[in-house]
Amino acid sequence: MSRYDNSGNYAPDSKSKYRRPRYPFSPRAVILGLIIGIAGGLYYAWNVDQRVEFDTEPWQLNEADRSSYIAGITLQYTYDSDLTRAVNRLLVLKLPGDPIQAVADTACKLASSSYIDNSSGQRAVRSMMTFYQLQGRTGCADTLLASSEIATPGLVIEASTPTLRPPATKTPTPEPILQATPTIVQAIVIPTIQPQADFVLADVRTFCSAELSGIIEIRVQDFNGEGIPGTSVTVNWDSGSSTFVTGLKPERGADYADFQMDAGKSYTVQVTGRSDPSQALVAGPCNDANSGQPALISYRATFRPQ
Amino acid sequence: MIRFLISLIVAIILGGLIGLYMGWVVIPTQYVNSPASSLADRYKDEYTVMVAAGYLKDGDLGGAVDRLRVLGQGNIPAYVQSVTERFISNSRDANDIAYLVALAEGLGRLTPIMQPYAQLHAPGQP
Repeated sequence: MSRYDNSGNYAPDSKSKYRRPRYPFSPRAVILGLIIGIAGGLYYAWNVDQRVEFDTEPWQLNEADRSSYIAGITLQYTYDSDLTRAVNRLLVLKLPGDPIQAVADTACKLASSSYIDNSSGQRAVRSMMTFYQLQGRTGCADTLLASSEIATPGLVIEASTPTLRPPATKTPTPEPILQATPTIVQAIVIPTIQPQADFVLADVRTFCSAELSGIIEIRVQDFNGEGIPGTSVTVNWDSGSSTFVTGLKPERGADYADFQMDAGKSYTVQVTGRSDPSQALVAGPCNDANSGQPALISYRATFRPQ
Repeated sequence: MIRFLISLIVAIILGGLIGLYMGWVVIPTQYVNSPASSLADRYKDEYTVMVAAGYLKDGDLGGAVDRLRVLGQGNIPAYVQSVTERFISNSRDANDIAYLVALAEGLGRLTPIMQPYAQLHAPGQP
């Protein structure tokens, strides 16, 4: 069969582009246009008309305001001694390297500047010093701020004890020139630092109950296993924390407190400022052995003195 | 040629819209060197609580006000009152509320809703 048509032209091959239906658009132009458009849109959005700034996180702060934020963290630490909370807040700042040493470096910079020209600035820097010194770090602020002004001053007691004239003897001796010479005795009493952890997590157990689903039951006891009411307990999770006290449910015991977890979240529990945080307690799924109903894992945590 | 030009123009417009969406919403500019006044509200609240706790530690009301000025609030006492009342209304952490109430009281902004939390902490008495 001839491939020449009636006009005598040679017919194209069946796979030729001349036999395929034509696209309504040019694929090359579309690809080129998209590249140009996306690049132009990104340039405009990132450089010409940036989104209005809001919801800034602390790590995005400028140096001066980041220093103020750090001062805020350490000021609260000097009040509540909650090391976990302070460190968690420092982590949000994404400080380079060791965050506690970064506090020491920040204190050093502030102590070298006019920031400490007023007493408020000095207090802020001292709070930083207290914070990092208790964690075994050092910085130039230690020397830049006079040691006499550091948070734990020594208590100086001065007592003068005059030397008395000796009693007369039978043997005459040349009359010495005797004068009372006061001796100054200095006793420096330095307050001891309160231990960082009074309590330890003595026991933590899991259980699964449809009635008590996802509960952390906390007990704080003394050396003899007797409950301690009114002890502040803090539960931390990724986006917050809650502080409450033991003994608010006397029917469960004076040492008892509990906390309701949300499914899938991870929590730590501690005696506020007086123990290290527990390991992560995860509100994972489980099945109640008695009822067979699905529930969340619950925990029983007991704190005792170290 | 006309088909090519029309396709190009349509694609540029479409690509531009995609680019703007990505640049403003999906992967917006991440700012650094930002002032504290642009902090997210939750961090502003957190900072205010820290300053309030610092006030309880040292009793330095002027220092607390100076520290809060970085948040760019015109009226610091009114701001502290507002934060405190919001914390109370939202049943936030009792200690945080007590810190804020102490600061609000120091600033002369103790309102009836704060009364139950007053005197739980006093400045200079940890």
